[in-house]
Amino acid sequence: MSQYNDGVHRTLRDSDFEPLGEQSTTPLLVRPSRSYWQDAWIRLKANRRALVSLYLVIGLLLFTFIGPMIWRVDPALQDVDQISIAPGADRSALVAEAYEPWVNGQVEPDFAGGSGLRLAAEPTTLRVRLLWDPMPGADNYRVYRNNYPIEDPQALGIPLADITRDNVYWYEDRLDLRARDYYYAVVVLDELGQPTDQFETVEVNVGRVITAVEARNRGLVGAGESLAVGDEVMMPWHPLGTDYLGRDMLARLMAGARVSLFIGLLAPLLYVVIGVVYGASAGFLGGKADQVMMRFADFVVALPFLLFMILFQVVFGIGPGESGIVPMLIALVVLLWPATARLVRGQILQIREEAYVSAAKLLGASHHYLILRHMIPNTLGVILVTLTFAVPSAIFTEAFLSFIGMGVAPPTASWGSMCNEGLKNMLTHPHELVFPAAMISITVLAFNLLGDGLRDALDAKMRSAE
Amino acid sequence: MQQEPNYRQSSAPIESEPAVEADKVPGDNSAQGQNLISAAGKQLLTFAIVAVVGLLVTMFLLDALAGLTSSQSTVSSSAIDYENNEITSHLRDEPPQMNSMRSTDSISGQVLNHVMEGLLRYDEHGDLVGGVAEQWALNGNVMTFHLRENARWSNGEAVTAHDFEFAWKNVLAPSTGSQYAFILYPILNAEAANNGEVPLDDVGVQAVDDFTLEVTLETPIAYFDRMVAFVTYMPANEAFYEQTNGRYGADADELLYNGPFMIESWVHGASMRLVKNPYYWDKERIRLDAINFAHMTSDPNTLLNLFKDEQIVMTNLGSQMLEEAMFQGWQIDRFMEGTVWYIEFNHRDGRLTTNKNLRMALTLAQDPGELVNRVIKLPGYLPGESLFPVWLQGKERPFRQEHPAPVYERNIELAREYLQKALDEMELEELPPLALLTGDSPNARMQAEYYQEVFQRNLGIDVVIDAQIFRQRLDKMTSGEFDLVMAGWGPDYNDPLTFADLFASWNLNNRGRYSNPELDAQIRIAQSSLDTGERMQAFAEIQRIIHEDVVIMPNYERGYVYVTHPELKGMLRRVIGAETDFTYAWIDGARDDRSGGDNDNQQGGE
Repeated sequence: MSQYNDGVHRTLRDSDFEPLGEQSTTPLLVRPSRSYWQDAWIRLKANRRALVSLYLVIGLLLFTFIGPMIWRVDPALQDVDQISIAPGADRSALVAEAYEPWVNGQVEPDFAGGSGLRLAAEPTTLRVRLLWDPMPGADNYRVYRNNYPIEDPQALGIPLADITRDNVYWYEDRLDLRARDYYYAVVVLDELGQPTDQFETVEVNVGRVITAVEARNRGLVGAGESLAVGDEVMMPWHPLGTDYLGRDMLARLMAGARVSLFIGLLAPLLYVVIGVVYGASAGFLGGKADQVMMRFADFVVALPFLLFMILFQVVFGIGPGESGIVPMLIALVVLLWPATARLVRGQILQIREEAYVSAAKLLGASHHYLILRHMIPNTLGVILVTLTFAVPSAIFTEAFLSFIGMGVAPPTASWGSMCNEGLKNMLTHPHELVFPAAMISITVLAFNLLGDGLRDALDAKMRSAE
Repeated sequence: MQQEPNYRQSSAPIESEPAVEADKVPGDNSAQGQNLISAAGKQLLTFAIVAVVGLLVTMFLLDALAGLTSSQSTVSSSAIDYENNEITSHLRDEPPQMNSMRSTDSISGQVLNHVMEGLLRYDEHGDLVGGVAEQWALNGNVMTFHLRENARWSNGEAVTAHDFEFAWKNVLAPSTGSQYAFILYPILNAEAANNGEVPLDDVGVQAVDDFTLEVTLETPIAYFDRMVAFVTYMPANEAFYEQTNGRYGADADELLYNGPFMIESWVHGASMRLVKNPYYWDKERIRLDAINFAHMTSDPNTLLNLFKDEQIVMTNLGSQMLEEAMFQGWQIDRFMEGTVWYIEFNHRDGRLTTNKNLRMALTLAQDPGELVNRVIKLPGYLPGESLFPVWLQGKERPFRQEHPAPVYERNIELAREYLQKALDEMELEELPPLALLTGDSPNARMQAEYYQEVFQRNLGIDVVIDAQIFRQRLDKMTSGEFDLVMAGWGPDYNDPLTFADLFASWNLNNRGRYSNPELDAQIRIAQSSLDTGERMQAFAEIQRIIHEDVVIMPNYERGYVYVTHPELKGMLRRVIGAETDFTYAWIDGARDDRSGGDNDNQQGGE
């Protein structure tokens, strides 16, 4: 007995078959349709940290590629008048006569007279000329220079020279003169050449000068302008200071950024592509082929990177003055693809078993179609995230290798080699280390945070958790 | 639904506390938030305290452990030990070995000059005085040394003329393979014997009796007495040498000492301890009881820190350390090392640098004064002018004062003219890049980069830098794989000839293979003449030829700026012999049993 047989009889009327009227009151509960990428972009925009990082990365790209067009200073040019100057240093200088060697200790008219240790000419950054009277019972003298006022006769500063020639009571100092106060001292030496406690001192205020020829060569004045001794000119401007050879830090940072980004973008791009192809093939083929391919990937993972890098340099025959960048690129690509390959293989293995793939197979989809339509788009998020994390690690590797001297050849700059050079002068000229180190840190941090944001935005699983 | 009351109950106790706080701050509705913050703050504070305490405990533990281990392994931890009259210093590196007959490096030379003594030595004024030899005289071709009878080996045996004869013949034996054998070549048949052409017995050195050594020279040379002070001329005890089975000088107990000190212990790669030699004939002179070379490193920053912590008695300063040294108020000294540094051109056939106009152009485009004053920035350095350094003695006054070196002033226009001439001669449109071979130290790289830019800017010449480690650089220099090489030369003995014969066509150290009969003729005169005036004239000629033919581009004479412990007196820095000589040093204020000690202390304290 079925319930339909003895149920209530209902008569169908004509009106039952008439269409319903317009139902405007029904709320529309459909979200606007957004593509995967639109959705990801909205998520990324909501993540302020990632957005700031994105701006930083864009800024870095501008710095690297547009920067050299605006700041047209040769990164290899040495400004020997301004070695190791800090950013924002005073750069006004007076035009002076060309340097002439001081041969017989003559005194300039303005400086005639006086006694004891005294100046023989206006002290400038070109030279400081000192003169003293013969001291009783002394044949030999030693000239000292100090950055601090002399208080202790044991601590007179740095010994510049021993004056041992007869009838010479003058000395010309040209050693690394800066526009500042110096405290000179001249000490009598005994027969053994040891300093005695008989000494005289003088305080000297050195003025910054540049010769007219130099000023013209450096283009500090216009072609038609006249230059007279005593005119004030401005030395070349170095917004971030100069390094130990007087090279412009800003220009070198820009040149270094090019090397860092070349390695940092190209290497991950290459090895991620290789990793994706390899991992996808392994995952898709499965079985024995998968086993063999993944064991080979394990083998590559086990290779020590640094040792391989050194071997590459040898095998490639990196000769004198040649850059180690290409072997570095190849070593990075050859050794770092397995990580991506493993990741992609795992994803593919998972996707292969999904119902929609089976359905597509049942409907007769070709392998080609399956890979292009289902597998790759579904792993794209993972691949992109890997890529953004690979960039900072590659930049860091490049900086590290350049730091230990296996990267670029001079005079090419790289952030790593600049750090290495700056390390020597860390205590006296910290800006030589701080700027390149800050560039490396900011770049690596920006790419990492951006990668974080991208992972949050692209990962399908994170989306459902929201 | 049932869970809700439970939930409220459980939250009640938490709310009870802020109620107290809320009483204090009436009308504050963020009481709960404050509570959370204070709870989190408490937790953070606890973590911070635990972390700090943990760190401190670990530090103290590690420190105590380090103290335990270091007191067992290292000999002394302070620069000056007043109690035991000892000092602690450093060596730049581990000495390869201590065999004076095979030694080639300055580090083993430094130690050997403390533990061994040759026929002659240099005193505190740098004058040549008798070492094992008491008297010596040159008579025609024959130089006779009379040895003192109280010179002893550290096993008590007398140092005899036979020990010298044995050592010198051993140096010359082809089987020894000593790289410094050439320094014995003034001796009759020495070169032939070293090449295996005549037996060793024909070499002109003979012990007439135990205390008389007769040396026959190839030609009478005026400077032979200065040469015998060199390390390679030091004696060796034959019986002891045979007994070491080829390990002579490889360890502290594989060596017999006749110098002021002896090696008590040698921990390879870590430390070395020298103690006063009780058998030394002039032991009254030696005032230190022991020297600890407790560190073997050449890293300037490490050494500076050790010096700051009073762990070592002296260290050299780099240009970036001068500011710190002035700030600390240390007593700073300078010392000319005596070496000359230059860029050597490759004169081998087929090299671009065989063109004299090109060499001239490169030389005129640079200024050694700029390199020294602006780039190197160390006061010990002198801008290079000549192959002969300033300290060499001439006839009466220093050689360079008697014969001032001609120099090329920087003149870029002229340099470009010479370059054009060179290009025309070689029929080149543009010069291919030149290879500049250099060392791999930071300073060598810095100088190479400086020159690279100078030649690029002034002449438009590309220079590629080939930075190599020392051994590799030497190999490349020997095989001639360079256009320009940054090289240096240090003196082996105190005579201008040690520099002058460097570019003789037969000298293997002439890495650029420069060959000029005119120069060779002058070198022959300097080698064989006995008249000082004539020799000095020859040296002046050599200086002129090297300048006019632009054989080298002088860069600088190297010097050091260094700091010493204020209580250590009498330490010597030498151009020839031990670079740092402690044999005349004493500690100011230390217990000194000798009669003259108090007097000296007073002098030092003034």
